[in-house]
Amino acid sequence: MPEIVDLQRRLEAVGYVAESSLAAALLLMVKLDRPLLVEGDAGVGKTEIAKSLAAVRGARLIRLQCYEGLDVHAAMYEWNYQRQLLAIKLLEHDERPTAVKEQDIFSERYLLKRPLLEAISCAEPPVLLIDEVDRADEAFEAYLLELLSDFQISIPELGTVRAVTKPLVVITSNGTRELSDALRRRCLYQYIDYPAFEKELAIVEIRLPQAGAQLARQVVDFVQSVRRMDLQKRPGIAETLDWTAALLRMGISTVDDDAAERILETLSALIKTRDDRAGFTREVVARIAAAC
Amino acid sequence: MLTSAVTAAGELGPLLRARLAGFAGFLRANGFNVGGAGALGLLEASQHMGILDPQVLRLSLKALLCGRSDEWRRFDGLFDAYFLPPNKRIFTEGNIGAAAAQDDAGGVPGGAQSQIAPGTGGGVAGDLDGSARHGASREASLASADFRELNQARHAYEMETLMRRFARRLRRLRLRREAAFHHGRRLDLQSTIRHSVSCGGTPIRLSWKERRRVRPRLVLLVDVSRSMSPYSFFYMRLARALCTQLKDVYCFIFHTHLTDVGSALGDPDPWRAQERLHLLAMGWAGGTRIGECLRDFHRDHGLRLLHSRTGVIVVSDGYDTGEPALLAHSLAALRRRSRRLVWLNPLLNQPGYAPESRGMRAAMPHIDLLAPGADLASIEQVLPRILETLR
Repeated sequence: MPEIVDLQRRLEAVGYVAESSLAAALLLMVKLDRPLLVEGDAGVGKTEIAKSLAAVRGARLIRLQCYEGLDVHAAMYEWNYQRQLLAIKLLEHDERPTAVKEQDIFSERYLLKRPLLEAISCAEPPVLLIDEVDRADEAFEAYLLELLSDFQISIPELGTVRAVTKPLVVITSNGTRELSDALRRRCLYQYIDYPAFEKELAIVEIRLPQAGAQLARQVVDFVQSVRRMDLQKRPGIAETLDWTAALLRMGISTVDDDAAERILETLSALIKTRDDRAGFTREVVARIAAAC
Repeated sequence: MLTSAVTAAGELGPLLRARLAGFAGFLRANGFNVGGAGALGLLEASQHMGILDPQVLRLSLKALLCGRSDEWRRFDGLFDAYFLPPNKRIFTEGNIGAAAAQDDAGGVPGGAQSQIAPGTGGGVAGDLDGSARHGASREASLASADFRELNQARHAYEMETLMRRFARRLRRLRLRREAAFHHGRRLDLQSTIRHSVSCGGTPIRLSWKERRRVRPRLVLLVDVSRSMSPYSFFYMRLARALCTQLKDVYCFIFHTHLTDVGSALGDPDPWRAQERLHLLAMGWAGGTRIGECLRDFHRDHGLRLLHSRTGVIVVSDGYDTGEPALLAHSLAALRRRSRRLVWLNPLLNQPGYAPESRGMRAAMPHIDLLAPGADLASIEQVLPRILETLR
């Protein structure tokens, strides 16, 4: 337990409030050399984990944002064709034998390193964040599995690039597509839920100390009640912080029913769909605010 | 608990190793997806993290052995059941209760209940006038269904042919995304240059891009309540034929609660499929709560299954005992998340029937296509219209 508490404290120092389960998973991830798969609703701080981990370890953060249609060239490596063509033209009158020229054209100088190749060729182990892996398609997931098991990438023209150091891999998923069991089995798993009152309060206090204890408490109370409502898109921690910042900017120092009119103006930072917004009339806001 | 068996923190005795490794099997028996490597990883992890502190052991095994969110939620209870002596469990049972309550916060009570004990949900709601007034009742039926008809040879061949044709036509639907193609209208410049490198920069072989062909995903939601019972088996057979033809099909049945039958239907062994469905079919031919079931579907599976290429097909007669407002709301939510919403109503072809039940009226504004489909012939007529709608 002391190890876990120590890591929690170090994460808090860089502005991330982690639950003990997350700290344990991060420790285990380093000890077992396994990737960590993080799932949870949007805005609960999944991406932030990798950033904070990199900050705590003083490591580089390499990020691969997944999207539909992401292919090997965009994720691993690509040849710099334009430069290669230019080199071919320049080498036309060169006297060296063809094999040497060819070797020159397919050397690392003409290789564009994309995030995955970059991550395994760092001297110091970096933190590799593979964000929203569920957006990429199954074929890419298979490539990823191969990389995560061997930590090597084979480039036909150049040979196999082996990892100098193994990166710490954090994979996040929003659950828009079912991930393969093979990927799940290879990873440690962490589900991040919406934070409880105390945790969210701690986050607001760390991230926005200028809010003051009273406003922070009221803001968190308000957001927690909003989350209990039947909404299409429940606000995450990111929204809580945005909204607090918006309140501060508007000069609102307490959340109560007198300020309902002005709170209504800032709600666009918290409520993100039209249907949900329609439910927040002045009366509703005043009622929630009065209870804070 | 574990400390008594340990002498040195680092090395684990054989007894303890067996006890720890047994936990992987225990989880597997409880429906966790723990592979053979799970037990090895478990021992390795406990050696690394130490096992003297139960909290550390719990947290590290949780990270190691869980693979999805429902496993994550169930883990603590199972951990306690395996490792803690019975008199310590009350404390944790409170924990589980709290977690379940939290789960339910977004929904309406009763949803989780029906997941735990299928078939008893209706008993709690206990409606006395559940006598099938115009086909619909709130009662959940405890009877299971007879699935022998699933493998009936009659029609099976025609049905398969029809579904194969449907699958083939689905394949023609195209997407906006482009992929490499051997011929086409648009030049893929990047790939052309890449190939030209081997010819010294002269683009001899051209590469093309073409719009990718990806079939839409299909989600089938089949009403198997009592009023639908003449058609339920027919639709199950249809769904089975479709599941064997297409990969990206998900099938659910609903009555008073929702059940995923996709993997059972897709079972290549017809007799095993029959057995599995038999187990799943508790509550078959009971009452109907369409709105609640669709809401449950949207909440539990919506995020995972619905995207802009999903066609949702609801098969129901629309006799609903739930709130029409809830049905309308759930359908609207489903409609927003998916590509098209098709409603097949087997009664539609009957003379004198008009879709005027409360449920149907609530559903109408959100449906892209309302079509009849009581037998194979009418399904065959309807398929082109479904394809047209999915386009």
